[in-house]
Amino acid sequence: MSFLTLDHLQKSFGTTRVVHGFDLSVEKGEFVSFLGPSGCGKTTVLRMVAGFETPSAGRVVIDGQDVTRARPNQRRIGMVFQSYALFPNLTVAENVGFGLKVGGVPRAERAGRVTEMLELIGLPDLGGRYPWQLSGGQQQRVALARALAPRPRVLLLDEPLSALDAKIRVSLRNQIREIQQQLGITTIFVTHDQEEALSISDRIVVMHKGVADQIGTPAQIYNQPATDFVAGFVGTLNRFAAEVLDPARGIVRVEGAEIALDRPLSLGGVTLAARPESLRIAEHGIPAEITGVEFLGSVQRLRARVGGQEVVLDRFNEPGAALPQPGVRVHLTAPPSGWLVLGE
Amino acid sequence: MKRVWSWAALILGGLYFLLPLIGTIEFSLRMRRGEYSLDAYRSVLSDANFRATFSYSVVMALLTIVLGVLIVVPTAYWVRLRLPRLRPVIEFITLLPLVIPAIVVVFGYIRLYNTSSVLPLTGTASGTNLLLLCGYATLALPYMYRAVDTGLSTLDVRSLTEAAQSLGAGWTRIIGRLILPNVLGAVMSGAFLSFAIVIGEFTMAALLNRPAFGPYMQLLGANRAYEPAALAVIAFAVTWGCMGVMQLISRLFGTRIPAK
Repeated sequence: MSFLTLDHLQKSFGTTRVVHGFDLSVEKGEFVSFLGPSGCGKTTVLRMVAGFETPSAGRVVIDGQDVTRARPNQRRIGMVFQSYALFPNLTVAENVGFGLKVGGVPRAERAGRVTEMLELIGLPDLGGRYPWQLSGGQQQRVALARALAPRPRVLLLDEPLSALDAKIRVSLRNQIREIQQQLGITTIFVTHDQEEALSISDRIVVMHKGVADQIGTPAQIYNQPATDFVAGFVGTLNRFAAEVLDPARGIVRVEGAEIALDRPLSLGGVTLAARPESLRIAEHGIPAEITGVEFLGSVQRLRARVGGQEVVLDRFNEPGAALPQPGVRVHLTAPPSGWLVLGE
Repeated sequence: MKRVWSWAALILGGLYFLLPLIGTIEFSLRMRRGEYSLDAYRSVLSDANFRATFSYSVVMALLTIVLGVLIVVPTAYWVRLRLPRLRPVIEFITLLPLVIPAIVVVFGYIRLYNTSSVLPLTGTASGTNLLLLCGYATLALPYMYRAVDTGLSTLDVRSLTEAAQSLGAGWTRIIGRLILPNVLGAVMSGAFLSFAIVIGEFTMAALLNRPAFGPYMQLLGANRAYEPAALAVIAFAVTWGCMGVMQLISRLFGTRIPAK
């Protein structure tokens, strides 16, 4: 029995349908990310869980209780916003204690919980400050503490890191994940940043045009994308038009080179795809011409032209080996497991 | 050259505003023949009617502010939160009191609420006071609404509301504990203007026959020579004094909220 169930949720604004039959079961303590481009409906689904939007159809069930029609203040959920949304007239401690005060928690108990929360987010001495006296990262940590203080059943994070600069974004996302695991709280995290989603989630829901294209672990999403969209949205992907020569043995031809996929295919044309780290330079394979070399430290990023298009290939830095020069003609290949077959 | 002109404008403006005030003050001191004295002030301040009408108007002004805040803050908040498309309409409605003369409003009141109507508010003093209060709140509406709406524009009203809701707060707490304190500065500036309008208001008070300060000033002005000048100076000073106090109060609260 899952802890949070979204049962065929739909939402239309006027005649525009932004979420089509969305199903999801989240286990207790699980960290699930909604990943997708802007306008894909991820925030709308989150807001339906929070109660800020009413679904046009479908149900939201938290811990066995149908809350589809419950008002936001009766759902016992914690929410963190992109804009922090701290109350500017209250101190940090008052902000964190707000939900407890609303819930009628006695003063002494409240103070204890606020201290505990401020220690959890690593800002034990800032209780007396006002939000405007804090940096963006600190404000968002306070917002997290405020959301967690009343012990919500579900924690909802709506692009909480988007307003922060890159370095803080990484450290704060790790902190969010640590706190989430420490408290074992069921969490939904909305983001458009694939790296963020891949790095901290138990499972990712890739959303596209109001539907969940794929639900899976970060590794599944990256290595076995279920749809063309997922393959293209998560990570970089090189695509090659291929002609199927032997469907039973999975032999295809790309730019005159034969490639064995060791899995059966249907006859006709397909699109082959490979991640930059799967491609490598070999004796035989797809003919290509190196057009650019970027040295990124631990990784070398090579750009090459295949037919009329550019592909990217990444390889680890080897201190002894020389970098290929632009203009050099090479052959590209990938191991059979490195090839994704799209549009089959 | 530019500087010369700006100084000239400043001096001209200063003369325009200060000369009548200085003239009035000077005149108010000349009650005793041949020498300056405070006789006119003594006369005004010892008049029981002055004290009665002035305190009546002060109380009415404060009630107007309270009523204005109660009407305007939730309305402006709700419009921003849920009916943003109605904002131009609401703004137009709040501007109507500037276009419709007070005399039209008060005659409307008298026709609607006279002693032979369904709701005979003008039949009793307290009923008429209530009517006058509503009239004052209407007059103050444009200033109050603009001030509060501007104050709200500096807040992310929607996120704050949703954050509070997700923490379990209901509407009363959201408006009373979160929205109002954050627009207090704006409310105060609306309150100054409401106060100034109500203290000197004549038409409504006179036609509803309430013992307010405006009609008293008019009465005194029609019958005496030096006292009206003294009264004008006193009223001027007290009004500015009240505004100063309100400013001080909002500063004291304001230390908790930084200027943007």
